[in-house]
Amino acid sequence: MVKGIVGLDQAYQAVFVAALIFLAVMLILCLIRAIIGPRIADRIVSVNMMGTMVMVIIAILTVMLQEGYLADICIIYAMISFLAVIVLTKVYMGVYQEKKQKEEKEDGSN
Amino acid sequence: MAVIEWVRFLAGAVFLLCGLGIFLIEMIGVFRFKYVLNRMHAAAMGDTLGIGFALLGLILMNGWNFTSAKFLLVIVFLWFASPVSSHLIARLEVTTNEDEEKHYRKMTLRELEKTLAEEAAKNSEGEEES
Repeated sequence: MVKGIVGLDQAYQAVFVAALIFLAVMLILCLIRAIIGPRIADRIVSVNMMGTMVMVIIAILTVMLQEGYLADICIIYAMISFLAVIVLTKVYMGVYQEKKQKEEKEDGSN
Repeated sequence: MAVIEWVRFLAGAVFLLCGLGIFLIEMIGVFRFKYVLNRMHAAAMGDTLGIGFALLGLILMNGWNFTSAKFLLVIVFLWFASPVSSHLIARLEVTTNEDEEKHYRKMTLRELEKTLAEEAAKNSEGEEES
């Protein structure tokens, strides 16, 4: 960010660095939530939240470093985190139903 | 000219800080609620409002160019993606939860109407007695 106005560059830099540090702390809290979350859905929710926060971090870096191509990475990150949620839910539902079928079969044989 | 730049910076910073505040509220909500279906309610807030505010502030700071259009695309994409993923997570939770009576109860709409009517009748009786 080079604007050539006294003090403005430093102000931009200060706001961006403060926001980045804040988001990093939030990411660590999200990770803690993902580790202690008692159910699988808890973990998926917190992974989704982490994806959102990483998107904001990438967007801030785009404006801070004036690198336009990072915005593309932000879009792709949004799509991939959405896809990750879909795939994880489908996988866990399939695992659950398989377990249930196996239990029913064992009950039937006994 | 310098004044306009400062005003733009201040507006952008205020929007960005609003977005970060929404993230803070989201985190508090996620840690305070006791069950996934409640937590999801707090977590969905950051997906639309938090990132919307933060990217709007960055768009104001960045000016009107192609990068800002990409940020807008991210916001609009999340408007569509967030409810879908919330729905899928909720369905996963409802399907796989074995002891559901502890956290929520399933009922049809007719049963719900009946329960609500009974509760309303009970409340009105209590008021008459007191």
